[in-house]
Amino acid sequence: MEHPLDTPESQATSRRRLITSLLAGGAVVAATPLLAGTARAAGTTDTTVPPNRDASDNAALNAALAREARLVGTYRAAVELANEDDKVALSLILDHHVAYANALKGYLGTQAQAAAETPLMQPSGGFAAMANALSKLENESAKSHADMVAGLKGIDAAALVASIVTVTVRTATALAIAAGASPLAAAGA
Amino acid sequence: MTTNQNPISRRTILRSGGMVAATSAFLAACGGANKTVTRIGSADTAEKLPEAPVTDVALVRTAQSVELLVAEILSDSRVTKLADKDSSPVIERFVAAHKAAATSLAPLVAARGGESATEPNAKLMVAFGEPALALLESGKLATDVLSLTLALETLTAATYQYFVQLTNEPALRAEMIRAGAPSSSRAAAVAQIINPGTAGFAPSVNDKGEANVATLPSAFGLLSSITVALGAPNEVGTRATVVMDTPSLNSILY
Repeated sequence: MEHPLDTPESQATSRRRLITSLLAGGAVVAATPLLAGTARAAGTTDTTVPPNRDASDNAALNAALAREARLVGTYRAAVELANEDDKVALSLILDHHVAYANALKGYLGTQAQAAAETPLMQPSGGFAAMANALSKLENESAKSHADMVAGLKGIDAAALVASIVTVTVRTATALAIAAGASPLAAAGA
Repeated sequence: MTTNQNPISRRTILRSGGMVAATSAFLAACGGANKTVTRIGSADTAEKLPEAPVTDVALVRTAQSVELLVAEILSDSRVTKLADKDSSPVIERFVAAHKAAATSLAPLVAARGGESATEPNAKLMVAFGEPALALLESGKLATDVLSLTLALETLTAATYQYFVQLTNEPALRAEMIRAGAPSSSRAAAVAQIINPGTAGFAPSVNDKGEANVATLPSAFGLLSSITVALGAPNEVGTRATVVMDTPSLNSILY
């Protein structure tokens, strides 16, 4: 004997089923504009946020890379001429510029252009003279990098360059002091 | 044999009821903010907090308040009383420089329809300014003056660096970098006063294994917390550490 509750419903489409389905379908249709509204609101907010990356920044970043590569070449030459603590200090700064060049290359990826390590100047003379010249180069780099940021659209590129400038300025001051300036004078205070 | 002639079976009721319940829950979840969800009892309508976006003008105003904060701390009598002949002229010049920096930011604020900040950042003063000053007062160590100055200059530079990535307008990002540069420079100068010479450029440790002050502690500007040990050593020889962070959502002047 077949239990009544187990009896399969004979009607594939009853009126009640039809009404239930229509209600469910109506609910989905009614909810769609609500969900779309939420998505649109989020989209509106996003349009005010600057892009993380922008391909139009690549030319400026390649120029910064070229500058950093040339600073690497400059410091390689300077390290050869320095002694003891001065050599260690210049090697540290050389490593920093290598890191900047690598960071810019990494950011640009396949868009990075070849950058020659042609020195920006030929270091010569005693350490003080060399440090003074290098300090000026660091200040020039900090200025050109900061000016470049004004034209960068991407936030990530701006953040990267800002982190470079922070230390480049410190380096310029440190080298100015090493060249003989007083700390206050070197800091412009 | 009993047969079920009624088209409304328990299974149909359960299925339809479940569908209605699920649809109701779905609609309630998707509803607008003004839709009242059924609740037990009654309560006052919650007042929505005002929107507080981190705008460019808010960032410049906050930068002003940080400059004024540093000037306030360094000109505090608890600092000036401890300053010796080496550190006294340094903090005097730096205080003037920070006040001037706050003033120089005023046109950037006005151009964006804002009102310049004229007071030190109150949240940051509570967070680390007052604790640092209290430690200076209790420790009475003249060397703490330059340690605190180095930390504050590093923090100011980091603040501008951090704000670059929060700023919408590219030209203003460049201004942020330029505004932060003097603090970077002053930080290097103080580091050289504390640990002079090219030997002080790179990170190193002393005979006790403690870190020396480095003029160039990292290749890139850091945004991590800045820690500075201040005050007298305790019975086991350690000193209290003050942790300084760049302004965040609770310390930005909206």
